[in-house]
Amino acid sequence: MSSLSPGSPTSSTSPAAADGAPADALVLEARGITVRFGGLIALNDVSIEVPPATIVGLVGPNGAGKTTLFGVLSGLLRPQEGDVLLAGRRVTRAAPSKRARLGLARTFQQLELFMGLTVREHVVLGYRVRAQRPRLWTDLLTAGSLHRPSDGERRRVEHLLDLLGLRAVANTPASALPLGIARRVEVARALATGPSVVLLDEPSSGLDAAETHQLGVALRTVVDEERVSLLLVEHDVAMVLGLSSTVAVLDFGARIAYGTPEEIRRDPAVRSAYLGDDEAVDGAGATTSAPPAEGSEP
Amino acid sequence: MLQYVVVGLVFGSIYALAASGLVITYVSTGVLNFAFGAFAYFVARTYYYLHIEHDWGIVPAAAVCLLVVSPAMGLFFYLVIFRHLRLSSQLIKVVVTIGLSVVIPAAATMIYGNGQIFFVPGLAPQPVHIYKVFGTAVTLDQVIAYVCVVLIVVVGALVLRFTEAGLSVRAMVDSEAMTSLSGSNPSRIAAGVWVVATFLAGLAGILAAPVIGLDPGKFTLLIAAAFAAVIAARLKSLPVAVAVALAMGVAGSLAQYFLPSDSPLTTNIVPAIPFAFVVISLIVNLARSGRVNEEEGVGGALDRAITPNGGTRLAASADTDNLYPRLNFWFPVVVFLGIALLPLVFNTYWQGLLTTAAALAVVFLSYTLVTGEGGMLWLCQITFAGIGALTTAQLATQHGWPVLPAVVAGGVVAAAIGVVIGVLTIRLGNLYVALVTLTFGLLMERLVFTLKTFAQSGAGLALVRPGFASSDRQFTYFALGVFAVFAILMVNLRRSTTGLALNAVRWSENASRTMGLSVIQMKMLVSGLAAFVAGVGGGLYALAHKQAVPFEYATLAGLVWLAVLVTFGVRSNIAALLAGCVFVMSPAFVQSELKLNSLWAQIPVLLFGLGAIFLAMNPEGTVHAWAIGLQRGLHRLTRRSAAA
Repeated sequence: MSSLSPGSPTSSTSPAAADGAPADALVLEARGITVRFGGLIALNDVSIEVPPATIVGLVGPNGAGKTTLFGVLSGLLRPQEGDVLLAGRRVTRAAPSKRARLGLARTFQQLELFMGLTVREHVVLGYRVRAQRPRLWTDLLTAGSLHRPSDGERRRVEHLLDLLGLRAVANTPASALPLGIARRVEVARALATGPSVVLLDEPSSGLDAAETHQLGVALRTVVDEERVSLLLVEHDVAMVLGLSSTVAVLDFGARIAYGTPEEIRRDPAVRSAYLGDDEAVDGAGATTSAPPAEGSEP
Repeated sequence: MLQYVVVGLVFGSIYALAASGLVITYVSTGVLNFAFGAFAYFVARTYYYLHIEHDWGIVPAAAVCLLVVSPAMGLFFYLVIFRHLRLSSQLIKVVVTIGLSVVIPAAATMIYGNGQIFFVPGLAPQPVHIYKVFGTAVTLDQVIAYVCVVLIVVVGALVLRFTEAGLSVRAMVDSEAMTSLSGSNPSRIAAGVWVVATFLAGLAGILAAPVIGLDPGKFTLLIAAAFAAVIAARLKSLPVAVAVALAMGVAGSLAQYFLPSDSPLTTNIVPAIPFAFVVISLIVNLARSGRVNEEEGVGGALDRAITPNGGTRLAASADTDNLYPRLNFWFPVVVFLGIALLPLVFNTYWQGLLTTAAALAVVFLSYTLVTGEGGMLWLCQITFAGIGALTTAQLATQHGWPVLPAVVAGGVVAAAIGVVIGVLTIRLGNLYVALVTLTFGLLMERLVFTLKTFAQSGAGLALVRPGFASSDRQFTYFALGVFAVFAILMVNLRRSTTGLALNAVRWSENASRTMGLSVIQMKMLVSGLAAFVAGVGGGLYALAHKQAVPFEYATLAGLVWLAVLVTFGVRSNIAALLAGCVFVMSPAFVQSELKLNSLWAQIPVLLFGLGAIFLAMNPEGTVHAWAIGLQRGLHRLTRRSAAA
């Protein structure tokens, strides 16, 4: 993220933009996103802000538009209205690969692993996409396969494998992984690209309680140590309210609540969206004991 | 001029029937049927067999062909093959239909023999009645063609719009899962669609036979022209497909009217017309970014949601804990050395064949690269080989270049053309790549390869092998050396970052894009490289024959090559070498060693076609499967002996 593309930002809240962006500038911001599929309004004027090194939760019942919003943020979908800003830079029309290079990574709810690659190779590829772009000619002719990986690469890859508890399966092909592990591989691959913000689409679905807890700890570690921001979509409302410092609630394509987990818990609109499921909202915080994210800010 | 419109409309009608059959199977079952021409040929050949060879009347013969043979064929292939491919990737579906297009003509030859056929009657009784309309002669055959198209279009539209069956088909286009939930049986609908599509194929075949003759190659050409209409219809719109098909037929005929009849230009421009339609539609589609989302294939959100994870892309296999075992290093080396010993053992006849086999292995590597690594189906690799061969011959024979630089130049020319085609198609998706490369191959074959400078009245330009590789044995070693160099570079590529990235792109384009890989760029690189390899391989192939004969690089022969390589394994380098050897030697073995008649030479082709169909489901191929089996067996043995 070096220079501004000519004439791009119409940003009013974060005019400082790319070069030497102040520490409190938003890493990711969506403004007034509207997406229609034919007559169906999937997202209606939805905005969301993700500050650096924080976890922002995104919850809502099925069909609320969470996955659509992720599609828009990562560039797989184009919104009819609204803007996406990455580190203050407008990327609404930029390709997914461009956004990735600007520091955005994501995981998929429907797993999108590379079945022909091992777990380690997922992480290695993620690292190299950012650190050393694949170059056909050099790879063809300089015995690329015989190169020993750089120290930085090895350290980073091993660190991520340990962090997500993947060391035991590092050399297993992705096609042979059970769901719980496969979800963690998605997270590891996203983190390996060295992102400033990661979109996590239901990372705990299909995980058991112990795995969910371990994932929560790993995510917390990443945010605290590497100052990565996370935008977290979850069905497990308790996990989101426990981990996030800010939570947005979507229902029928509209943002119905936005605030700290405490405020969300008390919000009547949220309670009615989750009608009859008070436990999901009230029971929050019981399973995860993470400190509020503000505590980690300098 | 009206006379030309009359003739053009006949072609247009046949294109329209074919295009409707193709579009309807694609939109409702997700299969773009590259074997449509083969279906049409088989039915037309059966009609000829019944009507001429067994003196059946026109009506019973036509009825049996159209109402029994065609639907039965459609139903059979649906039940045996396509039913199981519902969730397979587009690549697999296309390979399977290509396998079919190789199998069916070979089977027809085995059933009906390969006697010369000079005159093929249509549906009108002989002698064909001729009407006078506005002073223009119109034959009964032509009238029948028009009537058929009008009937099909009207009946088809009525059925689709107003009947319950039509409603079910239209529902299935939107979502197969929802259709089955609302009480219709999608399998029955799909079977029905296949029956209708093969009926259309049969009808198009019987109508076309009097015009183009009974030759499987001509049929595939005809259907390839219909593909132009399908591309223009963005694979989806039935009315657009019919309209463009008719327009194309008339345009082809009018071109003949307006251009001088004795000029070679005329004979060249007419076959180029479908290609012109393809290029125009491609540019329009690119401008409108009309990418067909093949990942979604048939169906809506529910269909995707209930698709087993990953199961869309890999064939179902019980061996889930080790779906993609990796091959040891030693196996390819041992096979390579084994083949390298052959020139020392073989007599001169077999040594001659080995030169071809080794050169062909290099061409096959280009399929390994573009299909195995790149995950794309380029159907014109043989054309690139031809371009390499012809460039080599031109430069070496006419311009006095030394042979080896000429071979490299051939590769460079092929690569340049490959990149241009890549720019036009890759962005639009895999199906467009397959369709356009097939059309391009046919165009080159008819437009460029027939030019006098290349064809030399069929014999081609003579080539002299380089001095150090003049004997067959030396040349085989030279070609094997080139193969080894390319193979090692590819192994290198596979293990590098680019290789990981290519692998990633093959498995999930969405995940690749969101992690920062440029999918298009990756695919472009592989395509260009593969075209280069094919070009060089083609140059070697010509050197093996000491002659650059253009018609040896016929696009349809390329489909057989692809089937052969898929049978052996599209991901493995050594499979390319084995495929080259077996493909060149097996027909010779059947004929010269087993002393069987030429009909039996169809058997290897038949087997390769079948191999492609069944192994499309095991993308790693036979060689890989055998090698893994061997590896496991040895592993078990060594463990046992260690324990003892």
